[in-house]
Amino acid sequence: MSISTSAAPPVTAPQRRRRLNLNASLVVGLVLTLGFLGVALLSLVWLPSNPNIPNVKARMIEPFSAGHWLGTDGLGRDIIAQLMVGARTSILVGAGGASIALILGTITGLVAAAYGKVADETISRGADILLSIPGMVTALVLAATMGSGAFTTILALTAFFTPSFTRVIRSAAMSVLQEDFITAARLYGRGRLFILARHVIPNIGGVMIVQFTLYFAAGILTEAGLSYLGVGVTRPSISWGMMLNEAQQTVGISSPLAIWPGLAIVFVVLGLNLLGDGLRDVLDPKLKRRGA
Amino acid sequence: MAIYVLRKLAFFVGAVFVASLAIFLLIRAAGGNVAAIVLGKDATAEAINALAHSYGLDRPLPVQYFSWLYNMVQGDLGQSFRTKELVANLVTDRLGVSIPLALSGLLLGLIIAIPVGTYAARNVGTWSGALLALFSQIGVAVPVFWAGILLSVLFGVRLGWLPTGGWTDWNKDWVASIRSLVLPVLSLGLIMAAVLIRYVRSAVLDVMNQDYVRTARAVGMTRTQALLQVGLRNAALPIVTIVGLQIAELIGGTVIIEMVFSLPGLSRMILANVAAREVIVVQSTVMLIIVFVIFVNFVVDLLYGIIDPRIRNAA
Repeated sequence: MSISTSAAPPVTAPQRRRRLNLNASLVVGLVLTLGFLGVALLSLVWLPSNPNIPNVKARMIEPFSAGHWLGTDGLGRDIIAQLMVGARTSILVGAGGASIALILGTITGLVAAAYGKVADETISRGADILLSIPGMVTALVLAATMGSGAFTTILALTAFFTPSFTRVIRSAAMSVLQEDFITAARLYGRGRLFILARHVIPNIGGVMIVQFTLYFAAGILTEAGLSYLGVGVTRPSISWGMMLNEAQQTVGISSPLAIWPGLAIVFVVLGLNLLGDGLRDVLDPKLKRRGA
Repeated sequence: MAIYVLRKLAFFVGAVFVASLAIFLLIRAAGGNVAAIVLGKDATAEAINALAHSYGLDRPLPVQYFSWLYNMVQGDLGQSFRTKELVANLVTDRLGVSIPLALSGLLLGLIIAIPVGTYAARNVGTWSGALLALFSQIGVAVPVFWAGILLSVLFGVRLGWLPTGGWTDWNKDWVASIRSLVLPVLSLGLIMAAVLIRYVRSAVLDVMNQDYVRTARAVGMTRTQALLQVGLRNAALPIVTIVGLQIAELIGGTVIIEMVFSLPGLSRMILANVAAREVIVVQSTVMLIIVFVIFVNFVVDLLYGIIDPRIRNAA
């Protein structure tokens, strides 16, 4: 709807180089993320063996053996099978927490941006307060009191992420609401809800996608941390953080068992972060690149 | 300035109040019937009621909340149901581990991040700059507990230089205490540094494009002189704020790292008391941590207002 009248500035040498870097982060991020999603999908239809059934004969098989490419753990469970199911958990919990927080944050952010000063002050101050509560401590208490499990972990992530979404969506929506086409729609007699749904949301879609990607990654990190502490996901579900905990508890940290789940976390989180950064520059060139 | 301070103070008090209500409701709503859980499945209803009464948990929730809040304001954090130990003592016992760990971690993070981030900003578009950006991007993706595991494998198990876990009391053998803290601090500091480098880099980049840096260059300063004499002071403002925001992150990292290296810090105390359903201990300890974080942010806000007059006047 908005028509830009200013001519594009000439591309200077450093700018060209930067654009190239950004594309690289988009491509690498996309490849890593698609690989991650592919593994999780594959685990639904095929696994090398059941990752939860102990097999005494196959205990502690070294990595790179036939039949068990990454070896087995102290109970003879295949590492690859566990990693594959762990990818599923990361998606369920990470994306679950990030999506619910995105929905809640969008609603509160839009209300704060469009429904007057009182609503804005209440919601913004509320978000500030929630942001100053250390998420890990709250998640720990919540998970430990409610009993661990995927559901509680998602709930903890939602509580943890929603105020950040609220802030970002609010400021993005506010800048859209100042555009001329919003004034035009208002003069045309459109209601507030119609303007939010038809004009504001489509224009902040890019911001929403980028934030979702970054918080998906943060969710995976937090889930791994909670499961490592023993208050996140429990068997028969499998989490990469839980695998690291088991490796440390049962066979000592020097085992290769302590390597693979960590590498999986790094690749996936790195992939999502790169994807988010890359998408930000494609979807939302106006937004300034920030540190985080 | 007085109005600015008053506004921030009002926010501080309001935030503490709202946070206390949230923590109270969260723990009570999620915790279930404490007395029943403590006594187990076979307990009779009378026994459960008697225990709830002796814990003071049979009073109406608002009464419990306000008496807890009132006592906290008076400096009384309550005591453990079973051992009758004062929460204040429980907490101070653990701070000797948690505070040195968190502070040294943050300090190490800053010592690495400020020069490296500045260097990365000065070298945007070169190989070394891109490499540093990549390293910090990878560092952000590394879970802090995995960093801890890897460091303890390398320096603890393989090389045998440092303990992989455990703790010796400061009074007994302070050298051993420090040795126990080296790997935890290193893990925490490196991960903090990865996060902070990105903030420092973008803060310095912002400053480098400002008019006053161009002016400084125009009057004959070299790039380095301009950056150090004019730029860094201005970049310090956003960095101070980020450190304030990262305090919550730092505490989360400290919680996990204490578990990796089995250090007897606050987090193990909280987890043990959550498991034992010591609701008062958990409530008061978590509340103390939150008040601390809100207070740090309050101080950062004040500092920001003192350093930069534009901010206090806008507010």
